[in-house]
Amino acid sequence: MVDYDFIVNLLSAMIRNATPIALAAIGAVVCERSGVVNIAMEGIMTVGAFVAAIVAGATGNPWIGLLAAIFFGGLFSLIHAFATVSLHLDHVVSGAVLNVLALGITSYLMIMIVGHPGTTNPVPVGLGDYRWAIPVLSSIPVLGPMFFNQTPIVYFSFILIGVFTWFLSKTKLGLHVRASGEHPLALETIGVSVYKMRYFGVLVSGLVGGMAGAYLSIESNVSFTEGMTGGRGFIAMAAMISGGWHPIGAFIAALFFGLADALQVRFQVFEIARVPEEFFIILPYVLTVVAVAGLVRRSRPPKADGVDFMIERSED
Amino acid sequence: MSSTHEHTEPGRLPSILTIASAVLGAAGLVIWLGASMSRGETYYFWGIWLIVAALAVYLWRYRLLNGGEALRELLRSSARKMAVPVMGVVTAIVLGGILMLATGYNPIEAYGALFFGGLVRNWHISILNAAPLIFTALSVAFAFKAGLFNIGAEGQYYMGAMAAAWLSIHFTLPGIISLPLIFIFAGLFGAMWTIIPALLKVRTGAHEVITTMMLAHTARYLSPVFIRANGGDPATSTHPYVTWEILPNNFLPRFQQFLPQANYRVHTGILIAIVVALLIHYILYYTSWGFEIRAVGENKDAARAQGISVGKNIFRALLIAGFLAGLAGFNQVNGLDHRLFENLQAGYGWNGISVALLAGGNPIGVVFTGLLWGVLDAGGQFMARTTQTPSAIVEIVKGTILFLVVARYIYTAIGNWRRKRQRHREADAANAVKEGA
Repeated sequence: MVDYDFIVNLLSAMIRNATPIALAAIGAVVCERSGVVNIAMEGIMTVGAFVAAIVAGATGNPWIGLLAAIFFGGLFSLIHAFATVSLHLDHVVSGAVLNVLALGITSYLMIMIVGHPGTTNPVPVGLGDYRWAIPVLSSIPVLGPMFFNQTPIVYFSFILIGVFTWFLSKTKLGLHVRASGEHPLALETIGVSVYKMRYFGVLVSGLVGGMAGAYLSIESNVSFTEGMTGGRGFIAMAAMISGGWHPIGAFIAALFFGLADALQVRFQVFEIARVPEEFFIILPYVLTVVAVAGLVRRSRPPKADGVDFMIERSED
Repeated sequence: MSSTHEHTEPGRLPSILTIASAVLGAAGLVIWLGASMSRGETYYFWGIWLIVAALAVYLWRYRLLNGGEALRELLRSSARKMAVPVMGVVTAIVLGGILMLATGYNPIEAYGALFFGGLVRNWHISILNAAPLIFTALSVAFAFKAGLFNIGAEGQYYMGAMAAAWLSIHFTLPGIISLPLIFIFAGLFGAMWTIIPALLKVRTGAHEVITTMMLAHTARYLSPVFIRANGGDPATSTHPYVTWEILPNNFLPRFQQFLPQANYRVHTGILIAIVVALLIHYILYYTSWGFEIRAVGENKDAARAQGISVGKNIFRALLIAGFLAGLAGFNQVNGLDHRLFENLQAGYGWNGISVALLAGGNPIGVVFTGLLWGVLDAGGQFMARTTQTPSAIVEIVKGTILFLVVARYIYTAIGNWRRKRQRHREADAANAVKEGA
């Protein structure tokens, strides 16, 4: 039963399940490194998933759907930036409100556009129809099918993880983003706007979160279903925290959560052991509590994460 | 002498008025909450009149004790406090109307149905919706007072509900003994779910938003396991699972038992919720425990300098918050459903956050905002059924209300901008005068 095919299937399912979590998590990493707590990832993903399915269905082109999802995810996240940075609203409060709003807006538009609640019509062509096997690399045993025979957004997530790691640690803008989360006053003192850095951080999380949503609706599925994000935005937060607020750490945590998800399905199908399916769903959450407890290793948030920054400007 | 006599020694009248106000208020509340218009009865309004009368008597007593000036000051300050929430609600309703108009629905008709459904026709559903929200919102509000954000009330609610369901299935004692026991155990199980976040917060500084949120999802997914073990047979039923019915001796009394006209589903949980809200108000503002918790919430360093233990109070506040959220589970299981459903869409814990935020963390305010949320939910369903307007508009209106009320800085910013413009205009006028001369 546990043979080569089983292992390969399990591991590539792990990658597929981890992709939306990893994308949302690395977006949240940039956001929180800039000092804004973002629990609105769930809402952003919902908006992205909905927009992707609607636009891809209307135009018949999943790529336009993907771009629209990224755009609207970013647009939606700007509400969070405006509320937290410009209006000095508590970050957790704003995120909680946006999660409510995202549900309301999508289910309202669902009835407006689709005409019924529940599920949208399937898109004619989904991104899942594009399976890009990288020549040579995809024929490596185990690793080939895992990493090099996947669908587009999975590759994008690999690229983005590298780009974000490089961006945060090697570029000047990345340094400014991190400074805005660690010591905003110091950043403002050298003449860089903390407000701008925080807007930027939130916007990045929105763009990437929109892409994660699009993955759910038009790549791993062919339509949008209400509630299809299924708490992945919160698991992404869990991955970000377990990964120590670092893109690669977040990716590894997301892989682990993806593996738990993939195992859950197989445990049910093959009845390997009589474990309730919920055990695997709970695993990421429990692991996060363990991670923040500092039992495994130190997982420290940016110093000014969630701390409001208000600069007194002289009038006139 | 005779004129000051009233102020210095008002005699027994104020205490009589206090009792009169309490009796009138309680009677009005019971009639108002228990009544339902579905049978065409109008005694529902008598309850409201009794509450208004109780309020008038109370204000009379206040004037007698503190003088007319103090009464006017009280009215002025409460009007100021109410201004932002009322403005937020009105603006959000107007914005929702514009959205409906823009998307081709009739806002007058829709709002008419919403308020008729929520306040008159399906008033009993509004109350049923409000009761659990008040408990979870009290939980969130109590934690707020200690400077904590109990975002995981949902999980504590599930723990309380599981405890209540298990005990109610097995307790065969008469209700008068078993109900208080179940009430307390449901609360304790809720509190148990905040022990780990409280310990971690005090010992390692782990943020309670993260720990309570993660534990909320954990409890949420533990509930189907519990339900399957207590009657939810996976062979015969899939999602949502449901337990056996609880024993009838553990049902919360219903209003119908003493008000024959009342809707049969309305139970006394809402009264318990209001009493608990008053109790929490008392604890927060009239006991040393409450004082210490509020001191820690206002300023940790100042509290520590005063010799108040910050860790102990954080621990205490989170545990009480968990207790309160657990009571919401008791309310649902023993009051309304009489079994535990795997409530996939209910989300009382998450909505409790909104209700608490809207009330600004005030325990008495929570009762009113909880009722408002209950009315909007019940009315939204009625509106969707009768006018074919998507009930999702209610979610949008709710989100907008919340945003406009919690983002108080909007009003500061608008005020600053207006003052600035005013100053500029004055400066311009002064310059014009100077140039003219």
